[in-house]
Amino acid sequence: MADEFNTDSMLSMFLYESGTLLEKLEGIILEKQDADCFDDADINEIFRIMHTIKGSSGVMMYDNIMKTSHKLEDVFYYLRESHPDDVPHLELVEKVLAVSDFITGEIEKIKNGDTPDGDESGIIQDLDEFLGELKGDIKKQGRRLPKEKKEEEPVQFYISPVAEEDSHFYRIVIHYRNDTQMSNIRAYSATYALKEVAEDLLYTPEDILSNEDSADTILQEGFYMLLQTKSSKDEVMDLIDNAEAEHIDFDEITAEEYGKGVAGLGRGEAPIIIKLDDEKEEKKPEAPKKEDSPPPKPGDYVVKSKETGKGKTLAKNHVKQQQAVISVNVEKMDSLMDLIGELVIAEAVVLQNPDLKVPGLDLVNFQKAAGQLSKITTDLQDVIMSMRMMPLTSTFQKMKRIVFDVSRKLGKDIELDVIGENTEVDKNIIENISDPLMHLVRNSVDHGIEDDPAARVAKGKPEKGTITLEAKNEGGKVYITVRDDGKGLNKEALYNKALEHGLIENKPMSEFQEKEIFRFITLPGFSTKEEVTEYSGRGVGMDVVVKNIQSIGGRLDIESVEGQGSEMTLIIPLTLAIINGIVVQAGDTFFVIETASVKEFVRVGEDALIQEPSGAEIMVLRGECHPFIRLGERYDLPNACSKVDEGIVVVLEHEGSLICVLIDRLLQEQEIVVKPIPSYVKKVKGLSGCTQLGDGSIALILDTAGLMLDEERR
Amino acid sequence: MAEELKEELMEEDAQKGKFMTFQTGKEYFGISISFVNEIIAMQPITAIPEVDDYIKGLINLRGKIIPVIDVRLRFKMEPVEYNDRTCIIVIDVKNTVIGLIVEKIAEVDDIMDDDIVPPPAIGHKDNESNKYVYGLARTGDTVKLLIDPEKLIGQKDIHMLEEISDKEQ
Repeated sequence: MADEFNTDSMLSMFLYESGTLLEKLEGIILEKQDADCFDDADINEIFRIMHTIKGSSGVMMYDNIMKTSHKLEDVFYYLRESHPDDVPHLELVEKVLAVSDFITGEIEKIKNGDTPDGDESGIIQDLDEFLGELKGDIKKQGRRLPKEKKEEEPVQFYISPVAEEDSHFYRIVIHYRNDTQMSNIRAYSATYALKEVAEDLLYTPEDILSNEDSADTILQEGFYMLLQTKSSKDEVMDLIDNAEAEHIDFDEITAEEYGKGVAGLGRGEAPIIIKLDDEKEEKKPEAPKKEDSPPPKPGDYVVKSKETGKGKTLAKNHVKQQQAVISVNVEKMDSLMDLIGELVIAEAVVLQNPDLKVPGLDLVNFQKAAGQLSKITTDLQDVIMSMRMMPLTSTFQKMKRIVFDVSRKLGKDIELDVIGENTEVDKNIIENISDPLMHLVRNSVDHGIEDDPAARVAKGKPEKGTITLEAKNEGGKVYITVRDDGKGLNKEALYNKALEHGLIENKPMSEFQEKEIFRFITLPGFSTKEEVTEYSGRGVGMDVVVKNIQSIGGRLDIESVEGQGSEMTLIIPLTLAIINGIVVQAGDTFFVIETASVKEFVRVGEDALIQEPSGAEIMVLRGECHPFIRLGERYDLPNACSKVDEGIVVVLEHEGSLICVLIDRLLQEQEIVVKPIPSYVKKVKGLSGCTQLGDGSIALILDTAGLMLDEERR
Repeated sequence: MAEELKEELMEEDAQKGKFMTFQTGKEYFGISISFVNEIIAMQPITAIPEVDDYIKGLINLRGKIIPVIDVRLRFKMEPVEYNDRTCIIVIDVKNTVIGLIVEKIAEVDDIMDDDIVPPPAIGHKDNESNKYVYGLARTGDTVKLLIDPEKLIGQKDIHMLEEISDKEQ
């Protein structure tokens, strides 16, 4: 199944995206490192970045990256929700940078074709402790651990607490089988499990997480733990993960013996704390282990571990990944395009130079050379145009993968229909819609489609859920729709939730329009699902979607019928996109009409027109009446023809209705680059942009939808 | 870095007190040279329908499409025919690049701060053109009206705000 996916482009996309996000993250951190604390916007931003990295690394099966970012996301989730005012800022900065370094290191490995095998558990433990401390801080107020102390925190384990009367003391020695992989991680998970019941716990080697050599020590000498607990021996034994253990020595000891610590008991060497910094750890080229994740927990799926292997081979096949795709600043592309435009004009100036018109000149060789020049400039133009355009295929591919993975993990049976994946979209638009689209698709799988197929059948829907991903280019805009036939949005639930979270004014529900209520889900901090899942459900997804879409001047349209499904449509302006247009002339002005919206050209006589009393004209075309506009009159263009039989009528279609427009002349059909009308000029109804024609002159782009809308208003 | 800063300062210094002056009608106007990108010859202009008459349309400035306005019309003066001395001053105000159609470029003048006097306020409150003129400068035997380009395009900001609020509704 997975082989069908074009993992190639996904990988490069993932690398590129994560790289940008990490850069952004570091930017924020470094900017604020000397400040007292992060402000809300930063916290939200970091949270979002981690959320996205978590999501995409999850898709790419890079578990360690996913887990690390998930953990950091947890920390910022806490910061965002609880607003603790006692955050040790510098420490937080260090933590974030550690995570960022770790992920960057892993990504570097992926780029070089290596397996991202860095050990994430150290960082995760660190973050866990930090988060615990934060939460503790809130309760205790003021008992803030100084930084130095925090770093030595594990030492606490060696300070034997006052023994309580009913406490037991145990000495536990776990001997792992000699071939056990990553015994240090297993040992750590044992200590982790015991923490729940432990009043006090010491162990050696102490540095099981940060020192990879400890794995060997544990294999050779066994893993020593001293435990003070109220639990019985059997309860403790149950907690220890003994899957790989050869045997476990379990002795009850006295409080005095316990007080001597590990050193006093068996092992000669005193516990030493060696903290390697994270960077060093990552740079270890090939760690002496083959698995790249800790022992599977009960929640893991077989599918997943298989896929991890997939991820590895996939990365290895692309040793030179970063050279296949380079990311070019859009500004540079723009200036290149402008320069080529200039070149075309210059070319026209030379080739049509009046000096050449002198009679009697022999221009044969000149014309040959000129022909060659024209060919090259045309090619050049084509190349720069095509450079900017990319089909949505690879973006949609990523979505297929998401639907596949998420539905598997959630145990839902979902089919994905893809329509119009060949729609070409400007490169920078693709970059900006990929994230939002990912969230939308994930939301549809996770929240949209019913958890229980029986519930679907009861509603008269097929057991198998369907998600439709559709892209189309219409009326100067790109529409990308994610549609599911799931449970739809419950207006009441949305309203109550928004009210509860204090996101909206306290108004009765009836005062909100349907669309307004649907839009609640895009408010930051809103989530319709109570539980936080790996994929969604923190109310961060939708606000990322809206933010990203707005940044490219688009919007999100939400439609939903409860019980039948929801439809999320991204409507993105065509700015900079290339459309196929027909160049026409009215008066002295050139206009471009998108070819797709032109139904036909007709020549009619005055007798085809009917004038309404209001002055509006109607054209009768094959027995049907359509609104009629004289473009010249409409825009008050000088020298435009006013007689119907002298001009040509263009019949335009938009969403099923037709409009007839009288123009003077048809010129040509060509690909044009849509440019916005400078913002200094106020928006003109019926025009969606302008463009530069081959000879350097400017043409205005007619917006069929706008023309119609305007006509209706009149 | 320091070098760059120095250069920038020097450049600013060199531009300080320099004004591009142009003639339109009988009056001479001046605009601080720091706003001026370039001066180009008159070009074919593509008119945009349904806009204020002083916005003459769009021109293609080496692949960049910029709007051009007629300064005379902007100041509510009678329009004049364009001739071969008519040219376009391309200015860049807060990243908005627009072209100003002027009748005739005069010269670049040094005008010191001391030579600039505020325009007389009495009796001219209704005068549309006064809004854009922040000072008068006497150089030689002519008085130059110094234009504040931000105000010149500032009017537009209101339009733009309206447009944005329109969209939101």
